[in-house]
Amino acid sequence: MISIKAISKWYGEFHVLKECSTTVSKGEVVVVCGPSGSGKSTLIKCVNGLEAFQQGEILIDGVSVGARGTNLSKLRSRVGMVFQHFELFPHLTVIQNLTIAQCKVLRRGNREATEKGQRLLDVVGLAAHAEKFPAQLSGGQQQRVAIARALAMDPIAMLFDEPTSALDPEMIKEVLDVMVKLAQEGMTMMVVTHEMGFAREVANRVIFMDQGQIVEDRPKADFFKSPDTDRAQQFLSKILSHGVQT
Amino acid sequence: MYQFDWSSIPGALPYLWQGMLRTLQITGVAVVVGIVLGTLIAVARLSKSSILSNLAALYVSGFRSVPLVMVLLWFYLLVPQIISSLFGQPGLDIRLLSAFVAFALFEASYYAEIIRAGIQSVSSGQVSAGLALGMTSGQTMRLIVLPQAFRRMIPLLLTQAIILFQDTSLVYVIGLAEFFGVAYNTGNRDGTLVELLLFAGIVYFVICFAASMIVRSLQKKLVS
Ligand SMILES: Nc1ncnc2c1ncn2[C@@H]1O[C@H](COP(=O)(O)OP(=O)(O)OP(=O)(O)O)[C@@H](O)[C@H]1O
Ligand SMILES: [Mg+2]
Repeated sequence: MISIKAISKWYGEFHVLKECSTTVSKGEVVVVCGPSGSGKSTLIKCVNGLEAFQQGEILIDGVSVGARGTNLSKLRSRVGMVFQHFELFPHLTVIQNLTIAQCKVLRRGNREATEKGQRLLDVVGLAAHAEKFPAQLSGGQQQRVAIARALAMDPIAMLFDEPTSALDPEMIKEVLDVMVKLAQEGMTMMVVTHEMGFAREVANRVIFMDQGQIVEDRPKADFFKSPDTDRAQQFLSKILSHGVQT
Repeated sequence: MYQFDWSSIPGALPYLWQGMLRTLQITGVAVVVGIVLGTLIAVARLSKSSILSNLAALYVSGFRSVPLVMVLLWFYLLVPQIISSLFGQPGLDIRLLSAFVAFALFEASYYAEIIRAGIQSVSSGQVSAGLALGMTSGQTMRLIVLPQAFRRMIPLLLTQAIILFQDTSLVYVIGLAEFFGVAYNTGNRDGTLVELLLFAGIVYFVICFAASMIVRSLQKKLVS
């Protein structure tokens, strides 16, 4: 579904991504972790073309992200993305947040879009908040709306960039629960997170990045039993001992 | 002690009112056209195309580097020529038309800078969110960025409109009688210039003061 082939990216002189390769098959959940500044966000933004890369190739469902002829908007409308800071549109109500792209991008009628939006709000447990503005919701609620907004486009895959790291501890679970359910329903997911509890529960594979490189890319069980590299070992013991996981 | 003579004011009120309407007309046209044009210039200034962005920068710094009076006179000398060569003799007062054009184009350069700052105040994460949903960059600008930018800019846009309202008095150089011009002419004719200009000053003050009070309460509302 998503195949990343030896991509490299530079910010000026700075080599952010070094020949990163991996694939995410249909229905697979891949967790990406690694220290701050290792390039996790950059990698995931390359996948839907929010960041350009200079070398290599990314294919989504056979379509090349970096190629000149690609209709990036159309491609992005099929790949959902959830951000660390939610990025709900503050000038629109919750339900409008869910319908605007359906109407303007997918050209759905207002009624159809609203029905779809309501249904998804129900799925994330926020049906009663449709007419509120994002600022009236808690962080956890906002992130669940953001997930629903992405799902409203009927994506073939979902990208998450540290979806819980801006949340207070008591709200992390409500967001992870939604993500776990999504994973169990067979959604293809690429998730940057340090929530190892989530990785243990639903991930198929874990990718560990350091200094722009994919250092490890292994099935979950192997990764948690004994990481190949010292760096991953150290990283894992650090975040586990800090009790970041749920 | 100077003896004030207010007797000519009541008789002049209808003319002063006409003058005020003209002032508001020029202000209104310049604000609306200035904001629309200013938005286009601001978007061009921030566009990836270096040609567009340089043209917009030239427009802005060009208009901001010359006095408004001069722009007004230039357009007064230019616009009638252009209009009559295009449409023959127009029905609309040529001085009024050149005032509209000059103020609108001039104000657009100021509004463009305000709006550019407003656009830049919207976080890049909002743009990413729009793009990630499959919107084009034009849709993201129109549906996501500009509505938020304008909401934040309302106080600044209004403040600029208040300045413009006062600046319209400059149209006396092309012989157009707006509020200030009417007050000046009447006072000159009746020998009560001091009284009429005092009166006009009070009217300007009251209107602008009230407007800036509104701006301030809006600002408070937007902050909270
Ligand atoms: N626009 C940019 N220009 C220059 N350097 C950048 C830019 N964006 C990111 N970087 C650098 O690229 C590196 C990777 O950034 P990235 O955001 O991908 O890291 P990350 O793994 O997501 O880290 P974090 O866990 O802190 O989110 C960092 O060193 C960062 O400073
Ligand atoms: Mg990051």
